[in-house]
Amino acid sequence: MKVPREIEEIANAILRSKVGIAGLTILVVMVALSIIALIYVPFNVAKEWNNPLFWQRNPRLALPSWVNIFLGRKLPETIVIANESIRKYSYYLETTGLKYNMLEAKFSYDYQDFPSELRLMLYVNAERVLVDIKWIQPTNGVEITLWKGFLQSGSNPIYISTSNEVYNYIVDSLKRLNLSSSRVMRPEIILFTDINLSHTNPMPVNGIYMLKIASISSNITDDIDAELIIYGKVYGLAGTDSKRRDLFTGLVWGAPIALSFGLIAALTTSFLQTIIGSLSAWYGGLIDEVIQRITDVYMILPFLPILITISIVYKIDIWTLLFIVVGLSVFGGSTKTARSMTLQIMAEQYIEAAISYGASRKRILFLYILPRLLPYTIANMVLSVPSYVFLEAALSVLGLGDPMMPTWGKIISDAYSGGAVEHGLWWWILLPSALIILTAISFAFIGLALDKIVNPRLRER
Amino acid sequence: MRMRLPLIILKYLGKRVLFLLITLIVAVYLTILVANAGGLIDNILRAQIKYDIVSSLARSPVWSELTEEEQKRIIDERFQIAIQAKGLDKPFIERTFIYLIDALTLRLGRALFITSASGSKNVNDIIFERLPQTVLLFTTGTILYSLIGLILGLYMTKHPGGLFDRVFSVFAIVTQVIPPWFFGILFIMVFAYYLRITPFGGMVSTPPPKDPLGYALDVAYHMALPLFTWIFSLFGAWAYIARNLMVQIAEEDFVVAAKAKGLPENILMRRYVLRPSLPPVVTIISLSLISSWQGAIITETVFNWPGLGTLFLQAIGSLDAPVVIGLTVIYAYLLVATVLILDLIYSILDPRIRARG
Repeated sequence: MKVPREIEEIANAILRSKVGIAGLTILVVMVALSIIALIYVPFNVAKEWNNPLFWQRNPRLALPSWVNIFLGRKLPETIVIANESIRKYSYYLETTGLKYNMLEAKFSYDYQDFPSELRLMLYVNAERVLVDIKWIQPTNGVEITLWKGFLQSGSNPIYISTSNEVYNYIVDSLKRLNLSSSRVMRPEIILFTDINLSHTNPMPVNGIYMLKIASISSNITDDIDAELIIYGKVYGLAGTDSKRRDLFTGLVWGAPIALSFGLIAALTTSFLQTIIGSLSAWYGGLIDEVIQRITDVYMILPFLPILITISIVYKIDIWTLLFIVVGLSVFGGSTKTARSMTLQIMAEQYIEAAISYGASRKRILFLYILPRLLPYTIANMVLSVPSYVFLEAALSVLGLGDPMMPTWGKIISDAYSGGAVEHGLWWWILLPSALIILTAISFAFIGLALDKIVNPRLRER
Repeated sequence: MRMRLPLIILKYLGKRVLFLLITLIVAVYLTILVANAGGLIDNILRAQIKYDIVSSLARSPVWSELTEEEQKRIIDERFQIAIQAKGLDKPFIERTFIYLIDALTLRLGRALFITSASGSKNVNDIIFERLPQTVLLFTTGTILYSLIGLILGLYMTKHPGGLFDRVFSVFAIVTQVIPPWFFGILFIMVFAYYLRITPFGGMVSTPPPKDPLGYALDVAYHMALPLFTWIFSLFGAWAYIARNLMVQIAEEDFVVAAKAKGLPENILMRRYVLRPSLPPVVTIISLSLISSWQGAIITETVFNWPGLGTLFLQAIGSLDAPVVIGLTVIYAYLLVATVLILDLIYSILDPRIRARG
């Protein structure tokens, strides 16, 4: 099969310039990222993204793990201790008719910063279970009682970091050890510092920690299970947001959405505009007049406000949005440019020749005129992709994006409204921004390379 | 020949005026349809009026002593009066035409929900209260970036293909594809959070300084970052356009001939390159000045700047159709007037347009 001359020209223009190659390289990486996202993300992101239970084992607002390389100290990862890493002893005392369960969760802590949060989940299958939870530090085996009391059947969360009750138990234990400090410290800091020393600048003690849970209940089948989560301060390749969501998943998942949204919108609008503009010039007369007047109206219409109104009134998802964007851009600047280019081409002799040997008007338009407009259309398309990617982001920032899908724009908007700018949560806002900018730049570079075939006179003197 | 010239111009202009007016009317009508969400807002308003009537009547102590029929009659009566007072009794399509005539004659009416800071519900008051803030930021910015861009464009035309030209082309195309609000978010992060040299947003501190000089300085302090963002994100693309326009002209035979004659570079650039490229340059600058009037919805939102852009968003968000229509109509009028004035100037200056007539 022969490659059309116009396509060959476009490929050459891109591959012969440095910026063109740079743009193409970035684009290829983005496409690869999209494919990886579609194949390897093991769950339905769109479904789980807004489900808080799905993300509950992740730390809140954690930095990306790779910051450890630059910090010179190790920030903690999240440690989850459950099932087989917890040792269980149980025995039933027939004389008293009591069932004793002992859980021992040992873990080693080797980081230069405190965890961000602690949470314990206790699962019991009896109606009334007396539970005693103790925290044992590596130095001198200091024992701190975290909680004592009765649990109901089912899952019982104990929020060690935020519960007032737990805090009071901890302070009581410290008093009993004559260690009560006048300063108020967060539980996760007290539990991980050497409480014998009164630090002004507390550092975590490294070593083997142990959580001891003792339960007493009245039935032989009574059982207890635990899950301790020590939330870290770093997570994954892109950190987490304020809802504990893994940003890397969101960012990877955003790539195919952004690319397909931008490409589909750009492709349909620029081809439609070119074809309509060309039609307008080629058929002339009334058709020309009508198309030109409609284009004038379209160019006065406030595009963004109309789009915002529609999004507010009808609460649309991203693909409906795409449809409306295309509908609002059927006529536009390119209609006018394509029309004037067609008028120029029509004056050329080969068109005259085609008319004289009796080629049909449709054939001349689609086979002889439109291919000549192809380089212009493609350059135009490539350059307009970023504007559509940013349009989606803009609507998200205004709170009008797709409510379910994690798009780059949605992540930026979440970060923006979540105070990422004011609190310097840079990873939350800069990583999605970097991806959007990279995508935009890749298309801009390819467009710059194509500019020279669109405007051949721009070649340097 | 001399006598017929003005006639041709008049005929051409007459045709343009007619087409532009039709365009304006259609565009405004479509905006009215969209801003009212095709009649959806009417239903919301009716329901709200009915709810207000019922809840205010129910508070009266004698209300519960009336029979159900009497209650229904009184509600209906008041509802009809309220609806007639708001003009909601006529069918939607009929009312769109009333809106259209009102809008075109600039009787912008009263806002549904938004009030101006002075407490007025008049759409004119609301718009003209916000206009100065937008003009201050965006029109200043547009003038500045146009000038900077033009000067850079001229410089690049002198040395096309040079290092600066090539590097700047890349910068221009990169800033062109990234919208100003996006730079806004990044710059707020850098300059307000990390460097702490600018505020995060807004136009004045709370409470605002009392003396006029302090107030002006405070506004300037708040304006610096959005102004910088606006100029930074737009001057590159504009310089690139100006450069392309001028490089094309610099290749023309008459310029080459003038150069061959040995004209000094300065005169060559000014008379032979800059002057013929002025028409498109003027068109682009005047159109961007007009659209700067509109403000920038998202950029203003990001910087929390109290201009027309945020008003637009507020109006759309509260489905305040009269304000949305008012803003669109004023903008459309200004745009059409600008296009018309440019047409007039060119038809007098450019013989080719006269000929097409």
